[in-house]
Amino acid sequence: MFEARELMVFYENMLALNNVSLECEAGRIVGVFGSNSAGKSTLMYVLSGIMLDIKNKEEMRGGERISVYGRIFLNGEDVTALKPHQMAKRGIILCPERRRIFAESSVLENLKIGAYLSTRSQTRENIDYVLDLFPRLKDHLKRQGGFLSGGEQQMLAIGRALMANPQILLLDEPLLGLSPAYQEIVINGTKKIRDAKGISVIITEQYARPVFPIIDYAYILENGSSVLAGTREELIDNPDVKSAYFGV
Amino acid sequence: MEQTRKERIDRGLKVRTGGIYAISSGREIMYLVGPRLLLIVGILLVPLFLEFAPYWKRVVNIMCVYALLALSFDFLANYVGLVCLGGAFFVGVGGYLSAIFNVYLSIPMYLSIPLATVTGAALCTVLLLPCLPLRGVYFAIVTLMYPLLFTRVIEALDVLGGTNGITGLDGFPNQYVEQYAIIVVMLLSLFAMRRFVSQDIGLVIRGVKDNDQAVRASGINVTSIKALSVFIAALMGCFGGAYIAHLYMWAGISLFALDFSIIPIASVVIGGGGTLVGAVIGSFILVPLSESLRFFGTLRIVIYCAALTGFIVFKSEGLMVYLQRKYHQFERWVKV
Repeated sequence: MFEARELMVFYENMLALNNVSLECEAGRIVGVFGSNSAGKSTLMYVLSGIMLDIKNKEEMRGGERISVYGRIFLNGEDVTALKPHQMAKRGIILCPERRRIFAESSVLENLKIGAYLSTRSQTRENIDYVLDLFPRLKDHLKRQGGFLSGGEQQMLAIGRALMANPQILLLDEPLLGLSPAYQEIVINGTKKIRDAKGISVIITEQYARPVFPIIDYAYILENGSSVLAGTREELIDNPDVKSAYFGV
Repeated sequence: MEQTRKERIDRGLKVRTGGIYAISSGREIMYLVGPRLLLIVGILLVPLFLEFAPYWKRVVNIMCVYALLALSFDFLANYVGLVCLGGAFFVGVGGYLSAIFNVYLSIPMYLSIPLATVTGAALCTVLLLPCLPLRGVYFAIVTLMYPLLFTRVIEALDVLGGTNGITGLDGFPNQYVEQYAIIVVMLLSLFAMRRFVSQDIGLVIRGVKDNDQAVRASGINVTSIKALSVFIAALMGCFGGAYIAHLYMWAGISLFALDFSIIPIASVVIGGGGTLVGAVIGSFILVPLSESLRFFGTLRIVIYCAALTGFIVFKSEGLMVYLQRKYHQFERWVKV
């Protein structure tokens, strides 16, 4: 059970997240939908602890002051103040927006970097698992990450996140710039991950249609506030959701 | 639970002076002009105050040269994105050229300094031209190597006076000319650079730092923009060199000393990168500090380093960034 309560984030005086609460039970896929500037990425940064790092860096260079309020719980433990690497140790792994793969390392090396927290045998197992999940990566094992296509890079990024044995996998816009065919591979992969390993997934996206079939529960963000939440069945019939996030 | 956070808000005065109403009251005019005037008048008065401490007059001269170098470093590093350790290179080229013009070609001082500035900057630009596509540490290393290379060439071939250097340059006619020459040039460069980076060309230059591929895609020749920037930065450095050569009436290998590359960087760190004024203020702090620590003998470097480290750890944003924020904004607690 992963839970965030009353998250508020200010970038200087701008309110980026306003009182957002979110719950994700073990083994579920939770969708977070919203347009640009809704606060999706901010939410992901807060949940993964990266926000603390961003905040420190801004403070060091005298930039904007970022204030974060609210609490995050993982299985009842308060993990709000943990550094990103401690979050990762507890199994909260972020697969960041725009992939951020290591462009000058090969695919295999990228996966191994992600496996920093696992043991040797786990690593071997996980690599096999990732290559099974995304067979396309098999052909490019020795290739530099930067030379992969966008879709392959996304698979690699998800694979890298899986190498750390996540409990909670945070996928920030995994479909960004992918063709429908690749979107399907990534979405099916996500579902397989959940089904096989029981990993909870929180997935953000602007356009809800491709993701909707696999999610159990969804939150709709608008200008930093959570305006609507419900199970897939509840939301799919909601006319507002239809017009805004399905393009109907 | 009641939560509060500190809010930063622009002062009303700042908001008012942002528009056309800036000239509507004396208070607002002072708000805009005050800090600048403080700097200008302050520096112009310094030589008069130091009338009874001739040694410190020299320090002020050198301090202004370092301020020029820091200005050129700040401009190249934080606006163009070229980390240039070539302060010593600019100073050396400017100094030697000015010595050549003055001693070998008998050009009077008031011509040899400007001439050395321009030709020196052109020479530096041409020599750095092949390295301009390099970024980050590569460019830094190349600019660091050039002064070493010139030192060795001068030593090995025994040209330009060899290890003794070129002696017999014209000195300045009197102390006031000597001081105000560098102070006025330093102030002019500071305000000219501030104006320059906010012009259209300044926008392009900052674009080159952010993403040179996007600038190229907009149909702008990145190499020529970088060359122009290096030329401008080298102008300031070469002027400093030519000035030092005439100040000491001597141009030698020590003009290529590493100090001219390193202290400007430290000044920019202290003053706050990207503010330009910060670079100047930084060298106004560092150079006198390093002079006054001479009293401690060898321990001087230790204290100096401790002060620098302290600055980086506790005020890594830089003095000027901090002061500007305090000047323009105030803080208050608000309920979340």
